[in-house]
Formats: sequence, C-alpha cells, structure tokens
Amino acid sequence: MPAIELSNVTKRYGDVTAVRDLDLTVSEGEVFGFLGPNGAGKSTTINMLLDFVRPTSGTVRVLGHDAQRESVTVRQRTGVLPEGFDVYNRLTGRKHIEFALRSKDVDVDPDEMLARVGLSDAADRKAGGYSKGMRQRLALGMALVGDPDLLILDEPSSGLDPAGAKEMRDIVRREADRGATVFFSSHVLGQVESVCDRVGIMREGELIAEDSIESLREAAGGDETLVLTVDSASQDDLDAVRALDGVSAATTDGGTVTVSCDSGAKTKVIAALEDQGVTVNDFETQSASLEDLFLSYTEDEERTEVSA
Amino acid sequence: MSWQAIAQKDFEDAVRSRWMLGLTAFFVLLIAAAAYFVRPGPGQTFSSNQLLGLVSGTLVTTLIPLIALVMAYSAIVGERDSGSLKLLLSLPHSRADVVFGKVAGRSLALAVPIVVGFVLPALLLALGPLQFDALSYIGYTLLTVFLGVVFVAIAVGFSAAMASQRLAVAGAIALYFLFVPLWGAVRFPLQIYLVMGGGPGWLPVAGQDLFTAFQLLNPNAAFKIISGAFLNGELFTGQSLQLQLAAVGMLLVWLTVPPLLGFLRFEASDL
Repeated sequence: MPAIELSNVTKRYGDVTAVRDLDLTVSEGEVFGFLGPNGAGKSTTINMLLDFVRPTSGTVRVLGHDAQRESVTVRQRTGVLPEGFDVYNRLTGRKHIEFALRSKDVDVDPDEMLARVGLSDAADRKAGGYSKGMRQRLALGMALVGDPDLLILDEPSSGLDPAGAKEMRDIVRREADRGATVFFSSHVLGQVESVCDRVGIMREGELIAEDSIESLREAAGGDETLVLTVDSASQDDLDAVRALDGVSAATTDGGTVTVSCDSGAKTKVIAALEDQGVTVNDFETQSASLEDLFLSYTEDEERTEVSA
Repeated sequence: MSWQAIAQKDFEDAVRSRWMLGLTAFFVLLIAAAAYFVRPGPGQTFSSNQLLGLVSGTLVTTLIPLIALVMAYSAIVGERDSGSLKLLLSLPHSRADVVFGKVAGRSLALAVPIVVGFVLPALLLALGPLQFDALSYIGYTLLTVFLGVVFVAIAVGFSAAMASQRLAVAGAIALYFLFVPLWGAVRFPLQIYLVMGGGPGWLPVAGQDLFTAFQLLNPNAAFKIISGAFLNGELFTGQSLQLQLAAVGMLLVWLTVPPLLGFLRFEASDL
C-alpha cells in the first residue's frame, strides 16, 4: 500500500490553476523530497493531503484512506510540520506538547518530546517569545508525538540556522530508520540530497521530474564542482586529472584547482593529484545548485517543446 | 475526546489574555460599584435580590453580550489569520471538533469573569447587614453565564464562517449594535405601534403577539423574560409560563444554530 497516492489531481483557485493533473505515488518507508520554487504548487499539494484544501478534481489517498472523507484517521497517524503556521503565543512549549498528546491520545512524558527537539530549557516559557527556529522545533515536536507512520514536513528548515537544519536532517533520518515515511518539501537542495531516497520537482503546478537525486543530476547534466587548495599545480598535473573517468573539466590558478566531475570521481581526483606530487591542503565540493538544476530542466523542457 | 482537548487548550489560552484580565477587573468593579450604591443605610437590612434587580436590566444585558462577543469573535478566524489553525488541524481534529470545542472553551473562559464578578462583591456585602439569598444569587449567576454562553455561541459561529479577521470584527460590532442599542431604540416605538395601536390590520395576528415574538427574537430580551421571572420566584410557573418556555426555546436556538451554520460554512471552505 502506498503511503501517498495522488491521481489526476487538479486544484484551481478561480482562474488560477495551482496544481494540474498531478500523479504522484510515495511508497511506505520512503523519504521523498518535494522540490520546486515558491508558487510551484508544493504547499497546495501538501494542503490537499491534510484536507486543508480540497482538490477541484482527482483523488488523494493517504495511508490507504481517502484524504477528504477520512482526514481525521489520516492525521491520527500522520505528523505534520505545516508551512506558514503560528504557535499559541500565550501558551508555554510544554502546553503545546501536552495539547498534541491529548489530541492524539498518546501517553508520553511531554519533557521527553521537548528534549527530543532540544527545547528542554525553554519548556516553561511562553511560545510567543520563541525564535523562528524554536517555533519550528516546537511544531516538529508536536508532529513527532505518537511516532506517526507518515511525516509531512513543509519547508522544515526555513528559519533554522545551519546547526538547526542539520538537526532537522538527523531527525528525518532517525524517523526514516524507525520505518516512517517522510514527505518533505524544500527549495534547498543541500537538505534534500543528503536525506532523500527520491525527489519530485514541481514547476507551475506540474510535476516535471520524479527520480532519485543522482539520476536527476545525471539527466540534468549537472556535475559537481570540486575546489581544492594545493601548494602548487601545473598543467601536467591537471592533464592527469582530466584523464580520469568522470572528469569533464579541470582548471587551476596555481594555488587552487577547480574540477568538474561526477560525485563518484572525487576521491580519484585527489589521489591523482597526490600521485603527481601535489599537496592537497583542503578541498570542498559544490553541488550543482537546485537553481541550476531547475534551469537545466526548464531549458530542456522548452527545447523539447520547440523541437516537437 | 477531540473537542475536549480543543476546549481545554482554548480555555487555557483565553484566560491568559490581557483582555480577559481587564474585562474581569472591569466587571468586578462595576458590580461592586452597584453594590456600593444600593448598600443599606445604618440599621437597615438589604436583600441581595435588590442588587440583582439593579444590575440585571443594566449591567448584565449590556455588558455580558459585549464581553462574550469580544472574547469569542476571533476564536476561529483569528487562528486562521495567524496560522495557528494549521497547527491545530495538523492534529487529528475534525472541523466540527474545532467549532464546538471553541464554543466550550470560550464559554468556560467567559464563566470566570462572570463568577468572579458576582462572587467578590457578594463576599464584601456578606460582611454588612445583608439579607443574602444564596439560592437566587447563585441561580442568577448561572443564568448570566448561560446568557454569555449564548453570545459566545453566536460569536464563534460567526468566527467560523468568516474568512478574515476584519469581517469578524465588523460582524461582532454589528451584532452588538443590533441586539443591544438598536433593539432598545426600536423596541419602544414598536411597542406603541403594535401594542397600543394594534399593529397592521391586514395581519391575522394581534399586535401584542407580534410584539412578543419580536422581543423573543433577541437573546437579550429572552434572557430578561427568564431572569425576571426567576428573581420574582415565578420561574416556570404562573401566567407567563408559556412565554418563559418560548424564551428558553429561543435561547437554545441561538445557542445551537449559529455554531451549526458557522460550521457548515467552515467545513466547506479551503483554509
């Protein structure tokens, strides 16, 4: 049984079509990244999974239940971090968690949930005084109550600092290891590629790609860029690098070497340089950004449309 | 039970609002002031029913609807505007749970200033030469809470139906003016026309009956009929029995129909 199943779903607001003919299936236990620029229809899709909005046509099933008629059953087994939410300013963090526990009829120590999302110290402070990141973590704590079968996270890392974003990724991974299905939207590639089994890309209300991130990058032709800080490198050294499989370009200004390559070729590049007697002091990788990925997709689409 | 979780959350949230503190203080002060003005002279005794008679026609029927509307108009639409409704509906609650849980939570929250407002002055009066009729005092307090609950239900129904906070504010103000000052202003000329003048001759209904029906429509006026009978010791007895029953019926209609209509609108809308 798929965890999420959208068939032929369209959502129109007046003249505006937010989502068009969307078919999407997410299997149980999968971590699915739902990508796209703002306004692409990601949040509308998520809102339809939760019965916040109703599709104009098509069917939405979540955890084997009709997302409209059996929404309460769906949400009983789902943890949600909504987008654009607010907390109850006058209630403490603990009160929020207690409310979630009562709502889901779960008997767990609220302090344990607060500790899981790193809010133990702020438990008795009113949530109105929380920072954006703390509010985000509080909502995540409420979402994790009752160990849900499905986690739906809408832009989970927005407002989080890098450490918070990493924590969020760790939590996603932990929940996935437990067996939960995770469905999350993002416009930041870095979060998606490290935790997702599969991604889908939305553009202007349509799903334009659906695949593993590696195949997507291959299809988009997006190499990774490896930037190495070295003592000194000559053109001969670079030739050795260029001769490697998976390397498409290599340049140097003497002190740094910039190599475009498949992600699998990175260690070979470093080894080849060291074989040439070059000392590699430091290196970093820059992935093809989602923006580039989008661009290559949209350009491809347009090209196909023109040639067709 | 899902609506109970919402009611409890909502009560805890509402009693922490500054509005709530202010309204409670205001209400206590006004009742205390009324008690001070009707206090007995030296050597005289004084019945608590006199105090109730004084506040009933004035304070209670003008202030309780106001406090109830202020407390409840944003119950749902406010959460919709701020986005906390998304947090609420991420949890396994139906939209019916939200509407009826909110009515219950805000009603409980409103009961606090009413009970405190009546109890504190009573304690002060009890020190003096007061002939304290506890039963009618408690009964009247409960009736007042009931009036408040009816207005909370109206406001929550409104709050569920509206898509923006501004509409809900306008609606609450309009409702208050309709039920309190406007009704009061229209009531007297209408009474002269219908009761003294007999009303329009082409209608098969007597003017007096039309006027009674008009009065019953307003939850405030229906409350006055019941509370008046209660303070006179004639609750559900005597000549006005039918009128009282009609008034109770009307209050129950106001208690249930607005939340129901609000729910239907809320249930059908995209958030």
